[in-house]
Amino acid sequence: MITDKIKKILLVDDDIDLLEQNKTLLESRGFQVITAENSEDGFKTFQKELPDAAIIDLIMEQMDSGFILCYKIKKTEKGKKIPVFMLTSATYETGFKFSTSSKEEKEWIKCDGVLNKPVVIEDLLAKLENFNYQ
Amino acid sequence: MNDCKGNILIVDDEKGLRLGTKRLLEEEGYIVTAAENGTEGLQYGTTIDFDVAVIDLKMPDIDGMEVLKEIKRTHPDTVCFIATAFASYDTAIQATRIGAFGYIPKPFSPEELIYQIELGIKQRKLILDAHRLEQEREKNLLELANEKSRLNAIIKSINEGVIVINTNGDLAYYNYSAIKLLGLSSLQIGENVLSILPEQINEIVTKIFRSDKIMLKSFSTELSLNRENEIFLEAACTPIPNPDGSLAGVVIILSNITEYKRIEIIKNQFVSMVAHELKTPIAAVQGFLNIIKDETLNLPVDKKKEYLNRSTQRLKSLTDLVNDLLDISRLELKTKQKEIIDVNLCDIVNSTLQMLELEIAKRELTIDKNSEDNLPFIKADINEITRVVTNLLSNAIKYNKRNGKIFIDLNSSQNYVILKVKDTGIGMKDSERQKLFSEFYRAKNENTRGISGTGLGLSIVKRIVDSYYGIIEVDSEYGVGTTFTIKLPINPN
Repeated sequence: MITDKIKKILLVDDDIDLLEQNKTLLESRGFQVITAENSEDGFKTFQKELPDAAIIDLIMEQMDSGFILCYKIKKTEKGKKIPVFMLTSATYETGFKFSTSSKEEKEWIKCDGVLNKPVVIEDLLAKLENFNYQ
Repeated sequence: MNDCKGNILIVDDEKGLRLGTKRLLEEEGYIVTAAENGTEGLQYGTTIDFDVAVIDLKMPDIDGMEVLKEIKRTHPDTVCFIATAFASYDTAIQATRIGAFGYIPKPFSPEELIYQIELGIKQRKLILDAHRLEQEREKNLLELANEKSRLNAIIKSINEGVIVINTNGDLAYYNYSAIKLLGLSSLQIGENVLSILPEQINEIVTKIFRSDKIMLKSFSTELSLNRENEIFLEAACTPIPNPDGSLAGVVIILSNITEYKRIEIIKNQFVSMVAHELKTPIAAVQGFLNIIKDETLNLPVDKKKEYLNRSTQRLKSLTDLVNDLLDISRLELKTKQKEIIDVNLCDIVNSTLQMLELEIAKRELTIDKNSEDNLPFIKADINEITRVVTNLLSNAIKYNKRNGKIFIDLNSSQNYVILKVKDTGIGMKDSERQKLFSEFYRAKNENTRGISGTGLGLSIVKRIVDSYYGIIEVDSEYGVGTTFTIKLPINPN
């Protein structure tokens, strides 16, 4: 069971509707969910709560707020071990071309995967399952 | 005297012959001047440019040879004959050397004289024609040189770079813009430039050179050169054919397209932002609907109702966004004709306040409005000005504190009507203020949470104010409040 490996998930999103939706979905699957509405609070919450996974909206105060938060999380001891996913509606079809499929892209974008909005809970669970926990 | 056959000088000391010749030639249609000795002959011959002169060799005062010499010196185009009874081979040669055209032995018959004179006139015409042609040729050469230097000056002064190379790859022509655009220090006519030119141009030129038959079209490529600042160039390479159809070389025209590239990037970023901003509310609505539909969640009814309301709210924002985008597009394209009338800004402020009454009451705000008496009208489109006022006032409401105040001040200077809207709201940080008028920028912090907006309102306001050559200023203190000042020209013309 994924809930054996992951108990606490951090959600960071400046859109309070999407934040609440994802919180509802994840709680219904038995996760404990903590939230933040900007990248600064997101990092503070991460350091305080040390969650087992993080899902971060890409475009918040700045175009790349999500990337920067992800980068900061991945630099911490805990962050290196947990899955961190980016959440965005700015994918290929909107002209922001990025993915984490190639090695080079992974070098730059430290996150472990990209999720499209709105989140399909099954996809998210599958991604969490597939993460290579050490 | 167009019908005159020619201007003739007769120099002869023998009176009978002189007068007879004169009469004869005049009858033939010539104008004849007769000189009775060498001195008179010299006088006439050196001052008037005669067509033909007939000079007697032996005269008592000055020798005919002397007269001939002087006439030829002063008027080399006058065709001269020497007439003498003492004909000898030597005199003929001597006279010819000095410049005589012919030799008329005396006595001569009238027919013979006329024949010789006609020959002389023909010769004179040939000489004059030759002169004229020579002058024309010189004039043409001068014009050609002028044309060449003018063309050169034009090509040298245009912004586009021009490079011409022959089929060996040697430089045949270039202008200064080419050196500047390519960032080279210099170029030398005759040097092989293929290796100096950027790789992409080199490739095209080589392809043109290698092609079997000459292609009479341009081949363009875009290239970026990284110097202090990145510049983008378009290089159009066109084959130059020889008259026989073979390839003479290639002309390369270089244009600086950096500005177009910059605009293209801005456009792409804008389109991406628009797509993102449109997708986000759709995702939110879809997310709510998915949750409401999901029976495994066992959502209570009032929660479902709340989510439906929030979905409706998001769809309303989406509609606002689409409308704002259409407004921006209209303002950009300038397709919408402004309906310019006399607009009373005070009236617009009053009607807008009335429209926003409900929101003002909801947030328990106090309005403090002052207006100059007899505020001048401005010439403007009433819908556009209403849009500006609505936007500023609704911002002052949205971003105000509960129980806050809105100060509205209307006055005029010599050329402008000035509207000031001051709120006691959350204010802005300097960093936020700088981005205020950019599309989709919305200050995001705990204070702005839950305040809806498209992020396009102030961008539209600025576009409208700019379109009237007006001025918009903003002054803000974080946590204290914000003041917007717009100055609209009374007569934009």
